Amino acid sequence: MNRLRALGKWFDDRLALGRLYDHTLGHRIPLSSASAWYVFGSATLLCLIIQLVTGICLALVYVPAPDQAYASIEYLDYVQPLGWYLRALHYWGSNFMVALVTIHLIQVFLFGAYKYPRELTWMVGSGLFLATLGMAFTGQTIRFDQDAYWGVEIIVSILGRLPLVGEYATHLLQGGPIVGSETLSRFFALHVFVIPGLLIGLLVVHIRLVLVLGISEYPEAGKPLDKETYAEDYEATVARSGIRLMPEGGGKDLVFSALILTAIILCAAFIGPKIPNGPADPSLIHTVPRPDFYFLSLFAAFALMPPYLEGFVIVYLMPLAVVLLFAVPFLSRGAERHPSRRPGAVVLVVLVGVSLVTLAYEGVLSPWSPEMDAWSGQPVQPQFVEGRSPLEHVGATLLQAKQCRNCHALDGKGGKRGPDLAGVAMRLTPDQLVRQVLQGGGNMPAYGKHLAPHEVSALVAFLETLHPANAAPARNSAQPSGGVAGQPDKP
Amino acid sequence: MNRRLLFRMFRVLMFAALVLGMASGCDSLPGRPDPADRYQRPDEVTDFTTLFATNCSGCHGAEGRRGPATPLGDPHYAALAQPAYLERIIGDGVGGTPMPPFAQARGGNLTEEQVSVLAQGIRAWGADVAGSTPTPPPLVAASPDQNPGSPARGEVAYAAFCADCHGPGGAGGEKAGSLVDPAYLGLVSDQALRTAVIVGREDLGMPGWQADQGRGISAGEISDVVAWLGSQRPSSAQGRPSGDGR
Repeated sequence: MNRLRALGKWFDDRLALGRLYDHTLGHRIPLSSASAWYVFGSATLLCLIIQLVTGICLALVYVPAPDQAYASIEYLDYVQPLGWYLRALHYWGSNFMVALVTIHLIQVFLFGAYKYPRELTWMVGSGLFLATLGMAFTGQTIRFDQDAYWGVEIIVSILGRLPLVGEYATHLLQGGPIVGSETLSRFFALHVFVIPGLLIGLLVVHIRLVLVLGISEYPEAGKPLDKETYAEDYEATVARSGIRLMPEGGGKDLVFSALILTAIILCAAFIGPKIPNGPADPSLIHTVPRPDFYFLSLFAAFALMPPYLEGFVIVYLMPLAVVLLFAVPFLSRGAERHPSRRPGAVVLVVLVGVSLVTLAYEGVLSPWSPEMDAWSGQPVQPQFVEGRSPLEHVGATLLQAKQCRNCHALDGKGGKRGPDLAGVAMRLTPDQLVRQVLQGGGNMPAYGKHLAPHEVSALVAFLETLHPANAAPARNSAQPSGGVAGQPDKP
Repeated sequence: MNRRLLFRMFRVLMFAALVLGMASGCDSLPGRPDPADRYQRPDEVTDFTTLFATNCSGCHGAEGRRGPATPLGDPHYAALAQPAYLERIIGDGVGGTPMPPFAQARGGNLTEEQVSVLAQGIRAWGADVAGSTPTPPPLVAASPDQNPGSPARGEVAYAAFCADCHGPGGAGGEKAGSLVDPAYLGLVSDQALRTAVIVGREDLGMPGWQADQGRGISAGEISDVVAWLGSQRPSSAQGRPSGDGR
């Protein structure tokens, strides 16, 4: 044992590891900072390490060439032993990393930990947050499947809207005027060189700031922050009751990180990697591209906002949001840190959170996308077929063949763009049905020029049967007894 | 929380992670992608069930039954329909009716091979009743140009075989709707009428050519009924079924 100790001392004399420890893991922090709320930053760091290790392993097999990228992903999934598992670890590592960095950001915001003297820590952290999102986006891009292709199309369309620089930025990112063979190389370079370099650089500064400024104390309501005396108070607190970050202070970090590691391994083993959904070929129309979960809200926001707002949002609101994120420490200058004394901050987090979750939910459903193969692949349910006349059967067939089902569901099955047609006869009279089919309206195109008169008759005859057996169909209020418009009422 | 307890938890968790990580070495965990779920380009699918479900079931019903269009899953239909006939209808569609062409050469999505797979698969549904007696009339009339059927005789045959349900004169009755609605006749081919008389809609309660009682309707009478219904098709029908589906 003594020899081992001597050997250790020999190295320590030369490498000064002990001093390094004293200034890093061994530096003293306030006792209250060893809180169970303060574990998200270190867990994010763990995710980054997992991403680096698995990412390097993946890069050994992945081929960043447009004709081979998709095939190399499939090779990993189906041929390479445990290749799928590697992909799964990287995929779930990224999911957890985005989630944890977001939670870390929210926690720091709610606890007012960005306030004096840690403004720069917040700003660098915001940079890390954006870099993490950048990694997530470029990562899903180099899967080079349908989601990737359309994701790139959307991001370059967004960039292209920027005034003056839009065209050049688009060209630079795509490596040409369209999404083509160069584009994948650009995104690969971003994913493995540019953004990781940036991220690690920012991380070094972030950790340096944490070490220099210490970890903020657990906030206390009614104990406002005083810039004049803060440094002295902090040092006094640390001197009086400080503990070392490691091993005393970091126990909870270790346990939480181990939990996260276990969760990532479990998700990778039991849910597996994201299976690529078809090669990046824009001629495949039967695809419903969706981003990974962290961009679902953005995806939904752009799908739902009216087109005239898009330019405004892209040119003003999105840059403004980024500026506001970085400027948080300078905009929120109150001395109170505890969330109970900062209701505005809590309301802001709740509002943004609820908006993002709601949008993400809409993004999962994406009711604005027609279901392109519903017309031929979603049967007219038997309850809408039985007891109908021959004409109504032809009408039901036309409903399918004219692809109405791609936008209109029947009893929940089919596209969600337009209203569900089960029960439509209770909402519209026969005349209104004819008018709606011929002229469209609401969000529906006019089909008058695409349907022969016989086809309209058959279609409407079928639509008129779409009401529950115990509910009467809609009637023309001018013909309360249900007569045909333009003809005298029958007694 | 006390530090010792925390470190013990950490050790337990790390051990669990290690064990799980090693267990994944067996390479047969639920998360492993199943090659069956692998993405297939739509034009590479050659599985009949998938092809039928994605291309045909919309109108013809799941497994070819209880849909609004011809019941391809009825074994009597499947036994009567020749593969070449099915391939032509699937590939070229039936002009003037809702049946669209599916062959890529005609603007559809299916390759020749896929059309063939569909025809063979539909045919296989009829394997159990193929060759059963009594022999049904041919699904496609031998030579309708030489033997077009007589509308006058057809009206008589209609009254005998169809009027019970479809009402006198074809105007619709208690059990079944009108057959002479101009919109209906304007959108249905003679072949579809013939198919309906021969095969029926057993899934929806309409009997086939044998009906329940007495002698079945004869091949000649079928042609006559179709000719009689066809004679009432409005000549102005914009969507007059040009292709007769033969």
